[in-house]
Amino acid sequence: MPLFEWEEVKIMVDEDGFMENPEEWNERVALALASTEDISELTEDHWKIINYLRDYFKQYGIAPMIRKLCKETGYSLKQIYELFPSGPAKGACKVAGLAKPTGCV
Amino acid sequence: MNEINQNSTRAHKANEAFKTRMNRQAILSFGVCVHCGMCTESCHYYLATKDPKMAPAYKADRVRKLYKKYFDWTGKLLPKWVGGGELENEEDLKELMDITFGSCTMCRRCSFNCPMGVDKALLMRTGRSILYEQGIAPQGVIDVAKDQWETGNQMGVSEEEYLETIEWLNEELQMELDDPIAEIPMDKPNCNIVYAVNPREIKYAPQSLLAAAKIFYAAGESWTMSSKGWDNTNFGLFSGDNKLGAHMGNLVFDSVERLNGKMLVTSECGHGYRATAWESPNWTGRDLKFPIFNFLEIMVDYVKSGRIKLDPSLNPFKVTYHDPCNLGRSGGITEEPRYLLKQSVSMFQEMYPNRADNYCCTGGGGAMSMSEYSKRRLETAVVKANQLKETEANIVATACHNCVDGLTDLIKHYKLKMKVKLVGELVADALIIDKKFITPTFKAPEIEEKLILMVDDEVDILTYLSTLFNDNGFNTYTATNYENAMEFLTTQKPDLITLDLAMPGKNGLSIYKELKTNEEYKDIPVIFVTGVNPDNPGQLDHRKFIYEHSLPKPEGYIEKPVEKELLLKIVRKCVEVKVDNLN
Repeated sequence: MPLFEWEEVKIMVDEDGFMENPEEWNERVALALASTEDISELTEDHWKIINYLRDYFKQYGIAPMIRKLCKETGYSLKQIYELFPSGPAKGACKVAGLAKPTGCV
Repeated sequence: MNEINQNSTRAHKANEAFKTRMNRQAILSFGVCVHCGMCTESCHYYLATKDPKMAPAYKADRVRKLYKKYFDWTGKLLPKWVGGGELENEEDLKELMDITFGSCTMCRRCSFNCPMGVDKALLMRTGRSILYEQGIAPQGVIDVAKDQWETGNQMGVSEEEYLETIEWLNEELQMELDDPIAEIPMDKPNCNIVYAVNPREIKYAPQSLLAAAKIFYAAGESWTMSSKGWDNTNFGLFSGDNKLGAHMGNLVFDSVERLNGKMLVTSECGHGYRATAWESPNWTGRDLKFPIFNFLEIMVDYVKSGRIKLDPSLNPFKVTYHDPCNLGRSGGITEEPRYLLKQSVSMFQEMYPNRADNYCCTGGGGAMSMSEYSKRRLETAVVKANQLKETEANIVATACHNCVDGLTDLIKHYKLKMKVKLVGELVADALIIDKKFITPTFKAPEIEEKLILMVDDEVDILTYLSTLFNDNGFNTYTATNYENAMEFLTTQKPDLITLDLAMPGKNGLSIYKELKTNEEYKDIPVIFVTGVNPDNPGQLDHRKFIYEHSLPKPEGYIEKPVEKELLLKIVRKCVEVKVDNLN
């Protein structure tokens, strides 16, 4: 299990760079994870998506369907890909500190 | 002590399970390996690491030892003599898991390079199956298999979530097509097509399903999706569990029969197509009354019959194509995607090697779900990264969701400037739905297969070269002497000529002189392919000859025995420089 370090942040991640202990997530961790996703700055738009993903994950323990993400946050699929170039599963979920989605992703 | 007992029990059970796994194909593949080493350089794990333990024959031997022990008659008596052995403890099981799940994507490139036809992916799957039965597999594989058993799809999407997603996509579709009746039909009986997808399209990446819906709409197809049995993927293929294989196959087949569809079409998912079309009929033992196609085949039919019209200028990119192993190597679907791309993008750039000889995306065999091995996967992806880089394309198209993720991952890791798209997405973007608004203004240059004329007096060499060139997407014509070659040139103009220098009758240099002094032929690139014989004083010095006759230098020169990668590199350089100039 690799240790990921960014500035003062030290977290354990899996081999795909997803957090091993999602409960350790905080806003600094999000910035650290974003740096691995070619996202230089987390804007208000990013935070809206991140916060929704975290709330959903806390409640249900899994990542939401893309339909829910789009409908609840008001962003289109295209906008989500613009904000998180690796897409909702491997980009947005990672920065939000969710566990790696299962299956063919 | 208990743990050791339990471990040895698991190893014992795995050994016992192995004894029940033999069928004709397995026996052939276990029995005939001669350890010639031809497979070694075909495997991306080996090519990237140069670790002899990554050679396919070595990896296969970790499973083969059980065959030697239980089924080989010498091995039954003297197992060590023929490399036979059993799984004895937890360490052995761990090693077998590392090899079968972590060091092989079951892409079968080695099988195509095996003179004995050993299907090493089958051996790996056999190894996986005896482990999986004891609960030994990467967690990701276990989780997905559980979801498929419990919910009927690999991402645990509930029926409610699924139907809501389709409704949401209908809204998007109606908006994009500006037509309130456009839709993704659900549970419509008696349709021509029942369409099954990869759950990734429902949960995270619905662009491809939207693209398919647009294409069906434009073609005026009668199609439907099913509320049950809509997942075309099948982790039974990866875990080696034929029971799960049959379960998933049954769900999809049931939906086609329930809706009385005329055919089943699987979306762009490589293993999903292979599992559904080729494996599930065996796993389920069902006699199917409907045919199964891949979406690529359906799209080709639409274009050829004029049911959809495409404008390549709508995709003004340089696009290359990555053959998914389960569609290209294992499914024989290689020309369909090329046909579609040439009609829907402004420039198509071939990738080398390609078709059945393409390298794996590195995410095959369920590898994308095994985080344990991601580091190794990305290390071995250097082979694929270099191959992609050489194309200098902006977009790599493929026809498999798993390849999309595998390629996206390695593109990020190796910082390549490329995007990944599915063929259907590019076709949908090139659709001319209303001619009033969109008029084709630009016709993509038709990039035909290049024709190579090979001149050599040795038939063996000609056979070798034409096989090599044909496998790499070239058309070929062979001539064994001057007369044949000239006769051919009066009928067709090849894109390239390979020329042997030492030939009886009129030799290669005289032919070369004739070509380069003839207005009609002088632009055809020529590569000298010749043997070097220092003992033969009569051999012509081609440099001297060219100098004395003031001829231009040939485009390439290669000595026999031919190093195939080098030759292909020179050939591609010659013919593709011409293509680039056109654009």
